[in-house]
Amino acid sequence: MANDKTKSPSSSSNLKRRSFLGGIGLLAGACPFTTLALAAPAVLPAEANGHVTDAPLANATSPDDRVPFQGLHQAGIATPRPANGMVASFGVIADTPDDLEHLFRRLTARIGFLTVGGEPPLADPRLPPSDSGIVGPIVRPNGLTITIGLGASLFDDRAWLIDHKPMRLSRMTRFPNDALDAALCHGDLSLQICANTQDTTIHALRDIIKSLSDRLVLKWKQEGNVPVITPGLDQSVESSRNFLGFRDGSANPDAGDDHVMDQLVWVGARSGEPEWAECGSYQSVRIVRNFVERWDRTPLREQELIMGRVRNSGAPLDQPDASEFDVPDYAADMEGLSTPLDSHIRLANPRTAETAESIILRRPFNYSNGVTKAGQLDQGLLFICYQADLEKGFIAVQRRLDGEPLEEYIKPVGGGYFFALPGMRGDADYLGSTLIAALRKAQTQTS
Amino acid sequence: MKLQHMLAMATLGLVISGPAFAQSELDLVEPIVEYKLYVTERTTQLIEGVTAFVDAIKSGELEKAKALYPAVRVPYEEIEPIAELFSDLDVSIDSRADDYELAEVDPEFPGFHRIEYGLWSRNSTEDLDEVADKLLADVTELHSRIEALTFPPEKVVGGAAVLMEEVALTKISGEENRYSRTDLWDFKANSEGAYTIVNLVRPLIADTEVDFLTEVDANFDKVFTTLAKYEKGDGYVSYLELTEADRNALSAAINTLAEDLSTLRGKLGLD
Repeated sequence: MANDKTKSPSSSSNLKRRSFLGGIGLLAGACPFTTLALAAPAVLPAEANGHVTDAPLANATSPDDRVPFQGLHQAGIATPRPANGMVASFGVIADTPDDLEHLFRRLTARIGFLTVGGEPPLADPRLPPSDSGIVGPIVRPNGLTITIGLGASLFDDRAWLIDHKPMRLSRMTRFPNDALDAALCHGDLSLQICANTQDTTIHALRDIIKSLSDRLVLKWKQEGNVPVITPGLDQSVESSRNFLGFRDGSANPDAGDDHVMDQLVWVGARSGEPEWAECGSYQSVRIVRNFVERWDRTPLREQELIMGRVRNSGAPLDQPDASEFDVPDYAADMEGLSTPLDSHIRLANPRTAETAESIILRRPFNYSNGVTKAGQLDQGLLFICYQADLEKGFIAVQRRLDGEPLEEYIKPVGGGYFFALPGMRGDADYLGSTLIAALRKAQTQTS
Repeated sequence: MKLQHMLAMATLGLVISGPAFAQSELDLVEPIVEYKLYVTERTTQLIEGVTAFVDAIKSGELEKAKALYPAVRVPYEEIEPIAELFSDLDVSIDSRADDYELAEVDPEFPGFHRIEYGLWSRNSTEDLDEVADKLLADVTELHSRIEALTFPPEKVVGGAAVLMEEVALTKISGEENRYSRTDLWDFKANSEGAYTIVNLVRPLIADTEVDFLTEVDANFDKVFTTLAKYEKGDGYVSYLELTEADRNALSAAINTLAEDLSTLRGKLGLD
């Protein structure tokens, strides 16, 4: 493991980090196949990271960085966010449980190869090569994770699947400030593909498209990245900035705290969700365009009041000399004199007991696509978040944000809701096996 | 017989196959001779069709011209891999408005799709006489060039995949015939053209590539049965009536055919 994340000096979370195995031990009872999973992973992650959105460190990555794709949960959710990410959405061709199993098994096999790396098989040169070659003759993992999510339409459009739909999985509906483009929305299956380098994510996408052309039809994709950060003299690492110039991810829940993750991110045993869904998570994807020209013409003080933070340091407005990791004291500012009541961070996370369960795990990337017909930059945020309950999580947060002053500068144009599958138990298992098992069980019962 | 084959081989310029694919180069002679017959038959039909089409346009028969349009294109779409060997003619016959800086109103925009734009978007046969005459001249020229052509085997065999790539690239999205929405006709013609090539070389790989042929046949079957749901009269309903589910099913079958057929040249030992 070349990527020794123990060296990463994220100021807030070093102490809270635990090894992956330790994490599994603490989770005993939370997921149905815990004991099996203990024996499973062949490769261990260096560390589970404290904050998913800690900025990727400059000069700290290696092409041989490997994030295990097996385990209780899928990789790419609570694992550290690398510099590059992508969400691709597909239509699924599956008329029977066999078809779906076929898809899951082959997808798992490709994920297994791509995230571990190796030499693609050589074909006769008169045949098309088995690999695109864009990362060279040897595929190296480069921190790659591929996370599978299932959309509501996969279940809704298939009578044999509909009874197995995760309870809160719905088709994303329009919020008041949205201008959703149908060509950038929804899908039967999402792949979140993240890696140290963009070529690794593109290589993975092309591999999967080529390998699974009979089962997956690409609908849309959005790529993004986050700036890598050089630690400061005191070894502190700031959160990466978004295209509005503000730090994004400051108040994310601690991914190194299994108890917090079980509460907020992973679907648990007593959630009312179908059993197969335990250890999965709801994934919300939003392509949020930023009107950057207009933003750049806005006075700095106004920008800060809209966001609720000091732009340069990320400090909360009631403690302008503190850091982004210090927590605003809203109780002492009930009228919003320091941090306006309608500022982005205050609406998103009011830090009250009632709103504690709506805390979501954000894993966003910035995107920069091109130029609009009006000659403006098409830039924004590929917002991705995970939560144990979609309604109490993202949907509740977004409802609170509806009408926020920031809306003048942002426009969600695409995305969708997906259910990220539980993890897998070892080489004989595959991603999605619990759903297939549930389908088989239902088949036997009816026949 | 042997001598004839040798001569045919020489004119066809067949590439000698290597040991990995023990295919006799002689075996390809017959499929290619047959394919040439097929292609010239199609270009003959194309000239006949375009002649009637041009007549309708020049006599101002708008509805007749519209009715003829999709069927007239079919023979061209069936033999596209060969027609594309003459890129000057292909551009002149079948380029799309996107290929021109000023799109539809670009004076350079020629061929089928310029006429399609006039007939549907402007609902008129006006100002089309010159473009129509040029189209007829182009397809006539295409026919004579093809008659004189020595068919490169790798282009013929590779043509099956090329036709599927065509569908995957522009037909599945409904972009090719965006004014008339007659894309399902092209869709069928490209697929038929590809299947013809597969069937011509089938005897050469029937014993060695059983699984491959089974999968290819199944995917062609998926394409043809899905398309059959949209048949109307002698042709097809508007592309806009294609459901999302069927579009997905077609897209998956087409892309898988493109993947599979991209190996056909190699399987026959062609470089």
